[in-house]
Amino acid sequence: MAEETYPINLWINEERLEKLQQAGLAGMCKEVLAGLKVLAVPNTAEQRDTILKIFPMAKFDTATTKSIELLPKAVKDKIFDLVVKKKSLSVMDEFIKTQTK
Amino acid sequence: MENIGHGGKEIVERVLPKDAALKRLNELKAAKAKVLDVRLQIATEVIDIAYGFFSPLEGFMTKADVEGVCNNMTLADGKTVWSIPIVFDISDDELKKSGIKQYDEILLTYTGNPFAIFDVTDIFTLDKKEIAMKVYGTTEDKHPGVKRTYQYQDKFLGGKITLINPPKINEPFTRFWLTPKQMREKFKEKGWEMIINHQTRNVPHTGHEWLMKGAYLGAYGSMMVDKPRGGILVNAIIGSKRDGDYIDEAIILCQEAQGKYGYFREDTFLTTCSLWDMRYAGPREAVFHACLRTNLGCTHHMFGRDHAGVGSYYDPYDAHRIFNTLPKGSLNITPIFNLDWWFCPVCDEVTYMGLCGHKDKKASFSGTMIRSIIQDGVKPPRRIFRPEVFDLIMECAEKYGFGDAFVTEDYLKRRNPVFTIEPL
Ligand SMILES: [Zn+2]
Repeated sequence: MAEETYPINLWINEERLEKLQQAGLAGMCKEVLAGLKVLAVPNTAEQRDTILKIFPMAKFDTATTKSIELLPKAVKDKIFDLVVKKKSLSVMDEFIKTQTK
Repeated sequence: MENIGHGGKEIVERVLPKDAALKRLNELKAAKAKVLDVRLQIATEVIDIAYGFFSPLEGFMTKADVEGVCNNMTLADGKTVWSIPIVFDISDDELKKSGIKQYDEILLTYTGNPFAIFDVTDIFTLDKKEIAMKVYGTTEDKHPGVKRTYQYQDKFLGGKITLINPPKINEPFTRFWLTPKQMREKFKEKGWEMIINHQTRNVPHTGHEWLMKGAYLGAYGSMMVDKPRGGILVNAIIGSKRDGDYIDEAIILCQEAQGKYGYFREDTFLTTCSLWDMRYAGPREAVFHACLRTNLGCTHHMFGRDHAGVGSYYDPYDAHRIFNTLPKGSLNITPIFNLDWWFCPVCDEVTYMGLCGHKDKKASFSGTMIRSIIQDGVKPPRRIFRPEVFDLIMECAEKYGFGDAFVTEDYLKRRNPVFTIEPL
């Protein structure tokens, strides 16, 4: 059984898409919801719980989408920049480190 | 008899015309009647009682009513279904200081202005923990309804209410405020025999739109289609706010926009509001919504997944099942139960759990996810979210939300009140 991942959905607007294309990462986004593009950054259960603790305004949508939602845009921008920098979606450990220092 | 409301009783407005109100006010003043200034929570329910939103309630509950509600989900008569206590609380101190006694007629004021007359027929205490357990199924104060219950003062007053000073409903809510009697007039005007209520405290996405359209088609059944004989009433709940809620102005204006921009024909669609502080009582709140909308004159009421629920206190379909436990004929409104909906990339549309056979490919979305998309500064595709609604949210954020479409502390502090009570 595949392990559950609890994504943070980074929704892709034109500005973000351009950055991804420049880094050659446009293929990383998925199309969901009638063509809407998203970069789903996976979290383990432990990372999810840490994120929810650091950012109390965030919400884990247990009922329908099973994703971490409502992180402030500035926080998501930082995660997005990390993905572009590392050219990888496995960025949450590093991101959490920058937040807990 | 016309205008039959919940419990088979005629809707009676307990509102005095201005002349009579002034006369009564002077009489009360001459008799040195006791005066209590009430908070918004109570003022809201005074208005609801007076106009018949809570019919057959004519006032705040007595102890016998509250006990009936908790133990049997009925009023004190043992027959009329009622699921949520409607109570007037007062601190021990204030009770002593004011000297209020049983059978006193007291003057209620709001923001200092004369507002209503309260015939106090019962003074009592309640076991708040027991109420929490019986109404909300939990005693955890994390539950917003339980929290509200625990925040009540320790004494309660029961008795009839008479409004002497109608509220002034402020913009942009004015055109959405219809009392139960006015609502019924409006339905007559529109020629509607079937009125489906959609309960909401949200701005609409196409999932909501789909459910309303589905309910309309289903309920329209075998009625003649020569002219609109039925329609959808979006009755938005305007009341106490929680973190993460859309601002009230965005909710009501975006709901209306669905008609304005043609996603529903204007002659089959109406947006109004009711003043109510959500209790998030799940199944019991669903029953309350059914009673409230019966009083508005609706014939049908939609109940979605996890209707009026919060956290994981209720099973998503508890609010459907509770209707099977009610005695036949105890409600005069037909529930319409909705399952889940989602976006299906194969069907290439928003579709329904009971119809789409591509469950493994479904893309679920929720109000929370839409909010997350909007917060990222992304305009969702029109099949998910109507562009006119999106633009209107942004406009409301600027015009009413101090830059934010969602409730902030700043908004709660600085917003224009939904209603005011002016000097009489
Ligand atoms: Zn499908």
